[in-house]
Amino acid sequence: MIVPDSLVFAIDDDASVRKGLTRLLRSARYQTEAFNSASDFLLRPPHPGPSCVIVDVRMPGVTGIELQEALIQRRREEQLIFITGHGNISMCAKAMKAGAVDFLPKPFRNEDLLQCVGRALNRSAEQRRRNAEKTSARLLLDALTPREFEVMQLVITGMLNKQIAAELGTAEKTVKVHRGRVMQKLRVTSVAELVRLVERACVARATRAVRETKV
Amino acid sequence: MWLAWSVCALRSLALFLNFLLQPNLNYRQITSLRQFSWWGEKVSVAVGVPNPWTLIGYLSLLLLLVFLIDATVAAWRRSDRRQALIVGGGAIFFVAMGWAQSSLVIWGVIRTPFLISFCYLGIVVAMAYELSSEVLRAAQIAGQLRSSEADLRATEQRMDLAARAAGLGMWMWDLVRNETWVTDHCRALFGFAPSEVVNIEKFLAKVHPDDRKMVSHEVEKSLDGLGDYGAEFRVLSGNGTIRWIDGRGRVEFNGDGKPVRIHGVSLDITNRKLGEEALRESEIRFRTMANTAPVMIWMSGTDKLCTFFNTGWLDFTGRTFAQELGNGWAEGVHRDDLDRCREVYVNSFDARQPFTMEYRLHRSDGEYRWLLGTGTPRFGSDGAFLGYVGSCIDISERKLAELDAQRHRTELAHLSRVALMGEMSASIAHELNQPLAGIVSNAGAGQRFIDRGDVDLRELRALLVDISADGRRAGEVVRGIRRMLKKGETLRQLVDLNDVVTNVAHMIGPDALLHSCKVSTSLKPNLLPVEADPIQIQQVLINLVVNGFDAMRDTPVQNRKILMETEHRGNELIGVSIRDYGVGIPDEARERLFEPFFTTKREGLGMGLAIVRSIVEAHHGTIAAENAADGGARFHFTLPVAH
Repeated sequence: MIVPDSLVFAIDDDASVRKGLTRLLRSARYQTEAFNSASDFLLRPPHPGPSCVIVDVRMPGVTGIELQEALIQRRREEQLIFITGHGNISMCAKAMKAGAVDFLPKPFRNEDLLQCVGRALNRSAEQRRRNAEKTSARLLLDALTPREFEVMQLVITGMLNKQIAAELGTAEKTVKVHRGRVMQKLRVTSVAELVRLVERACVARATRAVRETKV
Repeated sequence: MWLAWSVCALRSLALFLNFLLQPNLNYRQITSLRQFSWWGEKVSVAVGVPNPWTLIGYLSLLLLLVFLIDATVAAWRRSDRRQALIVGGGAIFFVAMGWAQSSLVIWGVIRTPFLISFCYLGIVVAMAYELSSEVLRAAQIAGQLRSSEADLRATEQRMDLAARAAGLGMWMWDLVRNETWVTDHCRALFGFAPSEVVNIEKFLAKVHPDDRKMVSHEVEKSLDGLGDYGAEFRVLSGNGTIRWIDGRGRVEFNGDGKPVRIHGVSLDITNRKLGEEALRESEIRFRTMANTAPVMIWMSGTDKLCTFFNTGWLDFTGRTFAQELGNGWAEGVHRDDLDRCREVYVNSFDARQPFTMEYRLHRSDGEYRWLLGTGTPRFGSDGAFLGYVGSCIDISERKLAELDAQRHRTELAHLSRVALMGEMSASIAHELNQPLAGIVSNAGAGQRFIDRGDVDLRELRALLVDISADGRRAGEVVRGIRRMLKKGETLRQLVDLNDVVTNVAHMIGPDALLHSCKVSTSLKPNLLPVEADPIQIQQVLINLVVNGFDAMRDTPVQNRKILMETEHRGNELIGVSIRDYGVGIPDEARERLFEPFFTTKREGLGMGLAIVRSIVEAHHGTIAAENAADGGARFHFTLPVAH
C-alpha cells in the first residue's frame, strides 16, 4: 500500500545506481525523483507530502551525512535511507543516531530497500501527523495564562488541588478556578486527556523538570 | 872468440920476441942510424937487416885484421851499420896502413919515419867520435826520459783525480816481488794508513768475514787464469760501518803462463747496494703483502699482458704462475663474461682509466665464482705509464644475497601491493559495489515490471542494456585488481602518464571522500609517452596520494586537498608531482624518507616509499620530496621519455 502523496528521492553520483534505483522504485509504483548530488536536491523546494530520501553516504561535494545534518538543521521531515558502497560501523552508527531509517550496503536486496522505503514513508506520514497535532496542541497551550500554565503543569503530575495550592502558595479555591479554565481552554474533560495533549505538544520536558525537582 | 884469443897470443908472442931478440924483432942487426930531415924535422931511423922472426908479428897483425873484419861484418849485420863502418872500418884501415908503412920502412923500401903513432891517432879519433856521439845521444835520451817522466806523473795525477772523482781506488800487486802499489783513495776505501804496507793478507783481513772466502776464491781463480777477477764484497771500516766494494782486476802472465802481477780497481758501491737493498726490500715487502693479502692481486705491463699474480690468485684458480702469465688468466673467465671483461680491460687500459667490473672466474674446485675486479694504472716516479695493478674479491655471496634481496624486494612489493589493496578496500569495494547495485536494482525493477504485467518493452530493453554495461564495468574492476595484485615480471608499454594520473584520481576518489579530501589534477596536454608498467606507476601514485591523505589527518577539512600534476621537464623527462596540504616532512625524516622500514606512521610498515622509489628507479627515473612553501609536502618523480 503506497502512502498517498508520497515522493521518493534518490541521490547518487553514480549513474548506474541512480538509474537502477529509479527503475526499481518505479516498478514498485513509487513517485520518484533522482539527483546526482545532495546540493541539487537541497535546491528543490520541500515536498509537501510524506517523502523519503535514498542517499549515498559518500559523494563528491555534499556527502550523505552532511545532507542529514543540513535537513535536521532545517527541521525537515524527510526520512533518510543511506546506501553505501563501502561503509564502516562508526559512519553507520552516526547516521542511525541522527534518525536515519536504515543504512544499506550496496548491492542491497531489492526487497530490503523497498521495505525500507515503505517504512520511511509511513514514518514520514506519522511524523507529519504528529507534527500537525503538535501544532494544534501548541496553539491551545499558547492560550493559557502563565498562572494557568503553572497550574496545568502541576495538574498533569497528578497533584491534588490542595497540594498545588500549597506548592504555589495560594488558596485551594483559586487553584480550582484556574484548573477549570485550563480544562475549558484546552477542551479536555479529564486529566488523562490533558496529559496526552501536553505530550503531543512536546512540552513534557517542563513536566519532567518539575518532577525532578520533586524527587 | 878463438880468433880474438889467437890474435892476442900471436901479438904477445911477437912482443915477447921483440924483447928477447937482439936488437929487436924487426931487425936482425941494426947497421946504422940514418938521419934525414922530414917536413923540417930531423928524424933518425935505424937501418939494419930485417929479422925473419918479424913474420910472426906480421901474422898476428893479419889475424887482427881478420878479427876486425869479422867483428865489423858482425856489427854490420847487427844493423849497427854506422858504428860498424866508423869503428870497424877505421880500425881496419889504420891497422892495415900502419902495418904496410912500417914494413916498408923496415924493409927500407921508403925513407920515412915510422908513422904508426899517427895511425893509432886516427883510430883514437874515430873511436872518440863514435864515443862522444854515444854520450850525446845518452844525454838526449836522459832529457827525453826526464820529460816523459814528468808527463807520466801528470797523467798519473790526472788518473788519480779521475779515479778519485769516480770513487775508484786503483791498485797493483806484483806477484814476483810480492809488492803492492795502492792509490790513496784505495787506501781510504779499505781503511789502510797512508804509509802502511799492504799485502793480500791485510787486504783479506779488511773484508767482511762472510765475504772473505768468496773474495779469496775469486782472486785465486783469476790467478789460475780462469778469467778476470771480480767480486762485490763488504768491507769493515774502522768505525764499524760497512762499505760495499766492487773489486775488479786483470792478471798479467809471463811467457811461461805464470802470473806476474795483477792490476785492479776498487769502487765504492755502498749507495747503490743500499738502494738495491731498499728496492729489494720494497719488492719483498710488496710480494709479502700481495701474497698474504686476502684478495687476489695481479699486475700487467704496458703491453696489457699480465706479469704478476699473487698467491691468492693462484690458490683461487689452482693454476701455476706460468699458466696465468700474459693472457693465460683469461682462460678461467666465464664464457659469457669474457668478451665484456676484455672490452672493459682494453678500453680502460687504452684510456689509462681505472676500472671496476664483475665477472665469473673458474675456481680450482670447478665452480665459477663471481668476482669484483678493479684495476688502476701504475705510473713511475717520472710519470711514465708502467701498466696496471688490480685486485679481485669474491663477491659470490654478495651477488647471491643481491639476487635474494631482489627476490625479497619483489615479494615485499607484492605484499605492499596487497597492503595497499587493504588500504584501498573502500575504493575497491565502492568501485565494485556501484555497478553491482545498479545491476541488482535494474534486475529487480525488471522482475517487478513483468510481475505487474504492464511491461514497457523499450524500458525493459534499456534496463537490460544497463545491466550488461554494469556487469562489464564490474568485470573491469576485478581485472584491475588482479593486475595490481599480480606478482612478478612487469609489462612495459608506452604509457601516457596523463591517463594514469586521471585513472588514479578516479580510483582514489572514494577514499578521498572518506578522508574528506579533494583530489584535483593539472595535466599538461599532449604529454609525450613513457615506457612503463602502468600498474606499477599507478601503484606509485596511489601510494603517494594515500600518504597525502594520512598527512592531512589533522588538516581542517576545507583545506584538505591533493593536487596531481604532469609536466614536461625538458625534452627527455616527464615530471609528475603530488602535492598535499598536510603536516609536511619532518626535517629528521627527510634523509631517510625512502629507506625501507623507515616510517613516521604509528602503524606503518615503512615500505611504501621504499617501494615507490624502487619502482621509479626501475623505470630509470628519480624521485624526490620537499616541503612546499605554503605548507604540506610535494613528492615529484621523473621518468624518461620513450624513444
